[in-house]
Amino acid sequence: MTALSVDKINKHFYDPVDFHVLKDISFEIEQGEFVAIIGKSGSGKSTLLYLLSTMDTDYDGIISINGTQVTGLRQNQLASFRNEHIGFVFQFHFLLPEFSVLDNIMLPALKLKKKSKEEIENKAMELLTLLDIKGLERKKASKISGGQQQRVAIARALINSPAVIMGDEPTGNLDSKNTNIVFDTFRQLAKEQGQTIIAVTHDDEFAANCDRIIELSDGMLV
Amino acid sequence: MNVNQKIANIFLTSRVRQLLVAVLSVTFGISMYVFMNSFMQGVNQEQTEITFTAMSHIKIYNELPNEVHPIKSAPKDSNAVLLVSNNRNIRYTEGLKNADAIKQELTQIPNITGVTAQLNQNIFIRNGVSQASAKLSGIETANEDQLFSTSDYLVEGNLSDLDKQSNVMILGTGLAKMIGVKTGNNVSVLTSDGLSKSFKIVGLIETGSNSTDRTRALVSIQTARQLLSENRSYATEVLVNVEDYNDARKTAAVIQQLTDYKVEPWQEGNAQLDSSSVLRDIIAIAVSLTILIVAGFGIYNIMNMTVNEKIKEIAILKAMGFNGKDVVEIFLTQSVIIGLIGGLTGLMLGGAIVKIVDNVPFEMGPLTTLPVAYDSSDYIMAFAFGILITFIAGYLPARKASQLDPVDILRG
Repeated sequence: MTALSVDKINKHFYDPVDFHVLKDISFEIEQGEFVAIIGKSGSGKSTLLYLLSTMDTDYDGIISINGTQVTGLRQNQLASFRNEHIGFVFQFHFLLPEFSVLDNIMLPALKLKKKSKEEIENKAMELLTLLDIKGLERKKASKISGGQQQRVAIARALINSPAVIMGDEPTGNLDSKNTNIVFDTFRQLAKEQGQTIIAVTHDDEFAANCDRIIELSDGMLV
Repeated sequence: MNVNQKIANIFLTSRVRQLLVAVLSVTFGISMYVFMNSFMQGVNQEQTEITFTAMSHIKIYNELPNEVHPIKSAPKDSNAVLLVSNNRNIRYTEGLKNADAIKQELTQIPNITGVTAQLNQNIFIRNGVSQASAKLSGIETANEDQLFSTSDYLVEGNLSDLDKQSNVMILGTGLAKMIGVKTGNNVSVLTSDGLSKSFKIVGLIETGSNSTDRTRALVSIQTARQLLSENRSYATEVLVNVEDYNDARKTAAVIQQLTDYKVEPWQEGNAQLDSSSVLRDIIAIAVSLTILIVAGFGIYNIMNMTVNEKIKEIAILKAMGFNGKDVVEIFLTQSVIIGLIGGLTGLMLGGAIVKIVDNVPFEMGPLTTLPVAYDSSDYIMAFAFGILITFIAGYLPARKASQLDPVDILRG
């Protein structure tokens, strides 16, 4: 099944001058694929990712995720859609610093309100185990190491069992040991859980080990 | 507690110092509003009470009407012209011939709290060589005391002594000093009709108002009537007090229906007092509003800062799927809680300051401490306004934040 499809995407930046950053991008990603988006700095890969995440709505073309066309939906509808179907991992963990690890992970599910608090808590504990950070649940998010924080962010992205996980240089801030841990986690999720993963990355080694590489150069697919 | 409230709660409790600053700004604004209002109202009320120690709310007396009534009505024949030269009002009678009848009529009116009749006449008063002009004031001792607490101002003697003997008098202290008499001395009184009589001084009165203390000579109204050869029920004015001095005009209009004599509410006879009272009220309102506006700006500033500090977290929440409404709810919850806590402590602090000021010694005239007023409507208004301000102060920045594009913040 197609997890994500992109049709003739064009995007311009207007400030300071008119810059055509994405030109006629079209591709499809199947469920369970582990895709890396690579390209030189300024090639437009992060811009593309944010379009795919539904957080950026300023573009021409059509994006569909999980069979639903997201292009044209209103802000509130997009927020709901994100909540349920997309898990996002940024380069910086962006956890809420004053909340506990467990609370951080549970928040998107508490917002979705599809499961009870107990069910959500159980799922969160499972994810903690899966990502090898069990034991940290009560700690404040600001008080754990960088690598642990990134894994908490991944757990948070997974809590609603989203159709797609999108990562914007998810290992950019991590040392090689933690990068490997994160990569292995993604690999495992794709292979064993059928999770679709799209990651923008600078790391060639990371990219080489993915199922598929989408390369951008000067805003166009290579 | 739903998710948004849970988030708001954690935001509030994680930065205690910030919370304290926000709460204190509300507290300060509200307590100052409460205090200033209570103080200004207290001063205003005191001024008004001082005004009415010597003046009644309504005065009924014999006075010419303002319009000159025509002696002759216009002729019906259109060929004829009416010319009356030097049309004047001439007063044929003096004083109120039957004050008792008027007083009787007044008993019908429900909001009247006190009535007294006075007979006032200019006289000369002499002690040997020293002579002074004075105002003889014949009073009904019990009624006069009820309206004006006259006995409080006596420095020597008793008010009731005026009724016990005829030809006794109480002088203002300034007047007594001017002609050099003390309690127990005799003086000679000369009326404008040329009648001379001897009076004994049985007491002295000091109101604090120089003009009064230097001219007033109190006798019983009966004594005054005898001196001026008037009958039992004669008086020059009937003074009336009502429950609320603000109603004086309305009640005066009612009384005017019952008599042809002039019925004058205090506002008419003393326009400058009325206007100064109104001006004081205007100033009080202006000061109160200013305090609330300044406090409002302070609160808005702090709430704005709070939201701006959390801008990244707002973007993260939006990335997770929280929508604009959720963001507004989260920050509005915080500002309402700040408003509630700040409001309540503000009321308590304001009340405490008022209590303290109430006990500050201040000896001037009848006052012993600074005047304050306790009006529960002030507290209610202050609290309501505090909540309203914090609501708006929290809503505006929250709404702005909710409309932000998370991408701009996260990538910036």
